[in-house]
Amino acid sequence: MNKTQKIEVGMELLRILAGLAIAYATALIILFSISQEPVKIIQLFVAGPFSSARRIGSLVNLAIPFTICGLAMCFMYAVNKFNLVVEGIFMISACMVTWAALSVAPANLPAGVMVPLMYVVAIATGTLVAFIPAILDRKFKANVVVVSLMLNSIIGFFCTWILRYKIKDSSISFIGSKEIPESAQMASIFGKFRIQSGLVVALLCLVVVSVLFYKTPFGWKMRMVGANPNFSKAVGLSVVSVSFGAQLLGGAVAGVAGATEMMGNYTRFQWVAPTGHGFDGLLVAVLARRNPVLVPIAALFLAYIRIGADVVNTTGDIPTEFVTVVQGIIILLVAAESFMAGTKNRIIFKEAEKDLKAKEAAKAIA
Amino acid sequence: MADEVLRMQDITKIYPNGFVANKDITFGVGEKEIHALVGENGAGKTTLMKILFGMESCQEGKIFINGKEEKMQNPLDAIAKGVGMVHQHFMLLPSLSVAENVTLGVEPMKHGLFDFEAAVKQTQEIADKYNFNVDARRKVADLSVGQMQKVEILKALIKGAKILILDEPTAVLTPQETEELFEQLMKLRDNGHSVIFISHKLEEVMRICSRVTILRHGRCMGTHDTKDLTEASLSKLMVGRDVVLKIEKEDPTAGKPIVEIKDVVKINAYGKRVLDGLSFTIREGEVVGIAGVEGNGQTELSDVLCGMGGFATGDVLLNSGSIKGKSVRDIREMGLAYIAEDRMVHGVAADLSIKTNIVADRFDKKEFRHGLFMNSKKIDEVVDGYIKEFEIACDGRNQPVRMLSGGNIQKVVVAREFTSGANFILANQPTRGIDVGTAEMIRKTIVRKSRTEGTATLLISADLNEVLECSDRLLVMRKGKVVGAFPKANEVSEETLGEYMLGVKEMTLEEMEGLL
Amino acid sequence: MCFFKKAMRTAIMNINWIEFFATAVRLATPLVFAALAAAINSKAGMFNMGIEGMMLCSALGAVIFAQMGGVWVGLLGAVLVGLLSGMIISFASLTGKTDLYLTCIAFNLAATGGTVFIMYLLTGEKSTTSGAMRAYEIPQVSIPFLKDIPFIGRVLFQQSLLTYLAAFAVFAVWFLLKKTRIGLRLRSVGENPKAAESVGISVTKIGYIAFAISGILCGFAGAFMSMSWVTFFMKNMVNGRGYIGLSAMNMASANPVGAALASLFFGFSDAAATTLKTQSKFPTEFLEMIPYVATILSIVVINLIRIVKLRRVEKGSAVTAK
Repeated sequence: MNKTQKIEVGMELLRILAGLAIAYATALIILFSISQEPVKIIQLFVAGPFSSARRIGSLVNLAIPFTICGLAMCFMYAVNKFNLVVEGIFMISACMVTWAALSVAPANLPAGVMVPLMYVVAIATGTLVAFIPAILDRKFKANVVVVSLMLNSIIGFFCTWILRYKIKDSSISFIGSKEIPESAQMASIFGKFRIQSGLVVALLCLVVVSVLFYKTPFGWKMRMVGANPNFSKAVGLSVVSVSFGAQLLGGAVAGVAGATEMMGNYTRFQWVAPTGHGFDGLLVAVLARRNPVLVPIAALFLAYIRIGADVVNTTGDIPTEFVTVVQGIIILLVAAESFMAGTKNRIIFKEAEKDLKAKEAAKAIA
Repeated sequence: MADEVLRMQDITKIYPNGFVANKDITFGVGEKEIHALVGENGAGKTTLMKILFGMESCQEGKIFINGKEEKMQNPLDAIAKGVGMVHQHFMLLPSLSVAENVTLGVEPMKHGLFDFEAAVKQTQEIADKYNFNVDARRKVADLSVGQMQKVEILKALIKGAKILILDEPTAVLTPQETEELFEQLMKLRDNGHSVIFISHKLEEVMRICSRVTILRHGRCMGTHDTKDLTEASLSKLMVGRDVVLKIEKEDPTAGKPIVEIKDVVKINAYGKRVLDGLSFTIREGEVVGIAGVEGNGQTELSDVLCGMGGFATGDVLLNSGSIKGKSVRDIREMGLAYIAEDRMVHGVAADLSIKTNIVADRFDKKEFRHGLFMNSKKIDEVVDGYIKEFEIACDGRNQPVRMLSGGNIQKVVVAREFTSGANFILANQPTRGIDVGTAEMIRKTIVRKSRTEGTATLLISADLNEVLECSDRLLVMRKGKVVGAFPKANEVSEETLGEYMLGVKEMTLEEMEGLL
Repeated sequence: MCFFKKAMRTAIMNINWIEFFATAVRLATPLVFAALAAAINSKAGMFNMGIEGMMLCSALGAVIFAQMGGVWVGLLGAVLVGLLSGMIISFASLTGKTDLYLTCIAFNLAATGGTVFIMYLLTGEKSTTSGAMRAYEIPQVSIPFLKDIPFIGRVLFQQSLLTYLAAFAVFAVWFLLKKTRIGLRLRSVGENPKAAESVGISVTKIGYIAFAISGILCGFAGAFMSMSWVTFFMKNMVNGRGYIGLSAMNMASANPVGAALASLFFGFSDAAATTLKTQSKFPTEFLEMIPYVATILSIVVINLIRIVKLRRVEKGSAVTAK
């Protein structure tokens, strides 16, 4: 690495950290200014997530879907398609897994068959749903952002219909499906932390996606298409096929996310609207700079401020929604090119000046 | 010498990637003077002028207009101080009329609304004053390149520019249009304007400029009166050695046809026939050059041949197979290598490593893979070999391409394209904007590959020197057709070439028999 | 299948067609504003996905400001909030140089939660609707004489004040783009930002102006949502209408009149969903999908037409010219 490169990498890191710090500070200021007991509230927000084994467990549990959704969004983001259908897939995959689990329940399959079978259903659902905006984009150049958002709304209604007419448990007072068979419920691990076994799935996804991104031809192709589609076309890549494929893969991973959440954290399907996990995935992918290896770190950070907000919500009477504002600020600061760009350029200029002087001095001696 | 109207003092500009574009440059322009700013491509001329016009900021240095220090924060400041700039790549709005383009920024108003009629009147007045023959009501999209340039100059004049910067104005003009431009420039000078004329065509500089400032690698090499210089001494100041314009090469031994272009028609989105029944053949072991004013179908021809753009009728055979409907990948498999016109758009992915860029067209071939995965060791070996062979100045194969200089970026491109094993090289502007050393290497490699390996080459270039020296056979394109063909490129004079490029002369099919 | 047919037949028979058309025009109102806002941004070269969030913020702004001085203050407040939202997005994307798509997605996310949070700050209640605040409604205006024309009178001339304003805004935006200096500069920035920059037109400034105008239009759209469509604010009440307006603009290639007509079409699909829900035994979930399905289908159809047209130009005239 030469000097300029080192400065760039260092500044990039510094920038992300500074962005996070500012956003975090904003959160603290908001809490401080609106709370009756600011010191207590801030204590809860900062230290709350670590205050009990249970909470640390829920932090990790929350980071699991964030990680998998973040990985899914990495695929979309890698080829510069803001395909937000991950949001809808997360919901419909959980819904389909529930439906499938209930349908095959009479067969009394062992967990060793049931769980993999459910993942097959989830992956198929995810790929199939992601196919819609991807093919419309490919064949008709339909704006993938608009189509995926519309599709998310449609999926929301569709899943509610399935829930109400196909899998509803009329014996309970709230809207929810029948309980999925025990063989499809993934056990908690690590005793009192109650971490869901989806952790294993998330880590597996992380490894598979990272290897796919950096060690396989398709991963190279995706990154090339993302870096410069015109160039990729000129050297013989089929840009539409690569971005199409990436979106399908992203859909498949999103399907895994939904299934994991359903089987690891719930016994009944009970969502009547999309859950926001897709957008969380986008936030995670942006924070991780579309690098899958960094996704879990971003996911843990996001889970940390979410749990903090939850603690504040339950004990301190401040609604969790304030966190969404903080998240918006994070995306903007991390993605903003000009944020701290001036500092970076000044440093590079100084270094270049120094280099020049050194070279001239060397020349003078010679 | 009359009073000095402009002085730039100790200008230093370093780009964010650490590239030193200008270092302590000082120069001045007098009243009623045409002052040349010369230097090789990449010497820092355009950057310096963008600083003067407020489009780039510099870290150090001062600008004086009529002896007063001025800050040029943006083009508006520059315009207010009487500086106007005609950019190398036109800054026009094709969907709007000439009048709207000319008055944009200083629109005449009536009752708080834009007054189109007044705009037409103002445009016509100033055009008549300087003898510019343009129709203010016409859409810019319908104009010729020469007329577009006039619109650009009118844009500067209507805003009261006293100092006019022309960045390589003759690059896109035919010799005849160049003549017309020179007359207009001299008229402007006599009317009290000062002109900064950027060029690397030495005879033009010697003809119309009174003084010349030379830049080399971002530094100022001094200002001289042109009457004290000869073309030879000026070129020595520019590059520090005699410019080698001759390429030694033996006659080609043209073999079997590699590329056969048969009656190709391409129609663009506006329904215009940009390629109009184009036919010619490129044989084994020869370099065919294409000359022509930019925008006469060269870009479209290049797009068709490399598979980036389709065509309506006709056919193209590459190694006897039709490329119609084939993807870029297929055509590359059939034997194409492609040096793209704009290297930052089609030649490289700037943010990715040198390694990725060099193997971009072949990394999923069997030899670079271990089953499903990439064979990193093999790729690294191959890439390191090419970095050495093509003398790419870098800090290693993992450095992002955007950190390299223009010449080294182009070396990355040719390291890929020259080693792909193709027997047809499509080279579109292969040396535009890069240093002389690299340009020479690329030109020599093109000729060498044709002689030793029997490669067929199509060389499309706006640099007439390049097409004349590198090509064996030379074709002139105009309005999407071949209008002239010459068996020996280095025997054609630039004057003759200009007449065909401009359409003064046109060869019939019979005259070009056997040359297509 | 038979059940569906029967349900459909009874549904159609029971519809009051005059009311249906009037509802369609009414529901098209926010879409027209949104589409015009998108058109202004689009002409300046920006694809503004943030309209959704801008409308949502304005809807809340309308309710809050109305508490201070009634319906007109509320309308003014909505416009001001819309303007402010536009400024926030343009600051992030133009001054902060953030990818515009990302900026807008971030803004929409923040708006969804942020509006609920602000509601909490003002009322102290953790609720997703503004039930605790007083309701205000933009008055309906019946135009004398014209309102008595059969059918058309009810459909077009007994509407909310904002609906007439939307119709006027179509003309105003067309006039702005075609006849004024700002319009010319806006279009020049959209067509070739470098060219505009080179004659001293600040691309950033024009960008801010475009966002200011679209912010004002979104303000009206938002005010319609919380003071006319319903008379309170609720979480995520815009529910994709911003995106639908954006699609309407896209279908008409940013032509204001075309965008308004496309919005009217989407107004019909919304009205169909609303009307059928009360009239038929269809599962409501499927009826609720109608506007979103209609949007996707029309994007596909319009793009298909564009692609076919382009192909015909590239191929067809080759034959005729021979």
